[in-house]
Amino acid sequence: MKRTMIVASTLLLGAGAVMAQQEIAVQQDKLMRSQAKSLYTVIQKMTKGDIPYNQKQVDEAIANLEADVAKIAKTFEVNPKQDVVDATYGSSPKVWQQKADFDSKIPPVQKAIAEVKGKIKDVASLKAAYTSINDRCSDCHETYRLKLK
Amino acid sequence: MLRRTILAVLIAAVAASGVYWWLSLPAALALTAATRAPDLANGKEMFNAGGCSSCHAVPNQGDRLRLGGGLALASPFGTFYVPNISPDPNDGIGRWSESDFVNAVMRGIAPDGTHYFPAFPYTSYHLAKVDDVRDLFAYLRTLPAVQGRSRDHDIPFPFNIRRNIGIWKLLFMGTGSFVPDPSRSAQWNRGAYLVNAFGHCAECHSPRNSLGGIIRGERFAGGPNPDGEGWVPNITQKGIGTWSEKDIADFLETGDMPEGDSASGAMRPVIKNLAQLTAEDRAAMAAYLKSLPPVDGPTPPKRKEGS
Repeated sequence: MKRTMIVASTLLLGAGAVMAQQEIAVQQDKLMRSQAKSLYTVIQKMTKGDIPYNQKQVDEAIANLEADVAKIAKTFEVNPKQDVVDATYGSSPKVWQQKADFDSKIPPVQKAIAEVKGKIKDVASLKAAYTSINDRCSDCHETYRLKLK
Repeated sequence: MLRRTILAVLIAAVAASGVYWWLSLPAALALTAATRAPDLANGKEMFNAGGCSSCHAVPNQGDRLRLGGGLALASPFGTFYVPNISPDPNDGIGRWSESDFVNAVMRGIAPDGTHYFPAFPYTSYHLAKVDDVRDLFAYLRTLPAVQGRSRDHDIPFPFNIRRNIGIWKLLFMGTGSFVPDPSRSAQWNRGAYLVNAFGHCAECHSPRNSLGGIIRGERFAGGPNPDGEGWVPNITQKGIGTWSEKDIADFLETGDMPEGDSASGAMRPVIKNLAQLTAEDRAAMAAYLKSLPPVDGPTPPKRKEGS
């Protein structure tokens, strides 16, 4: 009986640990997706004319982006050692092998956002802002973001 | 009897090494005299289509025209260190003749007559027009000279025997030049040329066999990243069937995908190169890529191991 309980609780603990790791990966994925929503679903689509220019949406997207970027270092503190189930993209293990370098890519993104904040007035200035921010995102994605399929 | 057997074995061994020697012999291209002066603008276009900078630029400094090399390229066969191709006379290619350069790019043969490792995509570049390669050489000579040699490749035995590459070339590399398809438009043919010759897209976007040769039937159907991590996507219509021709051309310029995302990983520097091409060349590449019939590639692994 005792033995069964020990085995059962060990299994449960193991399952719990796996779930916790998956939960970490999901949180990291969510944070990046939230930024993708601001940058791509709103800003990029507006620069392409897929959706009409809307000042309120732009300001919101920039504010959300700023808030999300500030969370990256903390959210990526722990290596989940697994990808989100069925994800198309994931984090390279290099994030945690060289975390200081990974973290050093964040301030340039914040700087790019700060430089355009409150100055976007039309599609042309939005386009310039999109490029300057996305280029800094790419500087990090070049090394630390993996396509998985 | 024994003596005779030994003799027979010896003769067979000599014959075999003779055949090996002959088969693995670097076959250089005899270059004919140029018929026109080099076109630097075209050389620059080929430089950007060929992605030379992505591998040969000195890593971690902003200037993509400083071609001092040094980048480490991991592969299943060991790590390659990209050489200096700046015009420096001692460390780069400043003393090379045009024929040296054409043979390096189109045949994978160094000026000293040895084979280059196929990490250098001459397996695609052999399709190039000689005049385009000449223009590229002239353009490279206008770039800044960078001092310093990169370290030796870190390739274990038996892959470090360069002569073996001669056999590898016979198995996996053609030497023909690009043959246009007369039933297709001029734009399509230009795209096919850029994608298959200088663009060398298939080198990453195709699965490879255990010897590192591209699996022909699955060209462009994606595969594991040769660098070790992640996956290179299928760019036949199986993978990007929902992208329009314009979506592809836009992607090649900006890295922006129609589904609302942006290119990552090794594709990022490729976009930086392609963004410099003329819009016509990007449109031609898009027209060709859009025409690739859907092909199933290998299946990506379910989940990476904990690391």
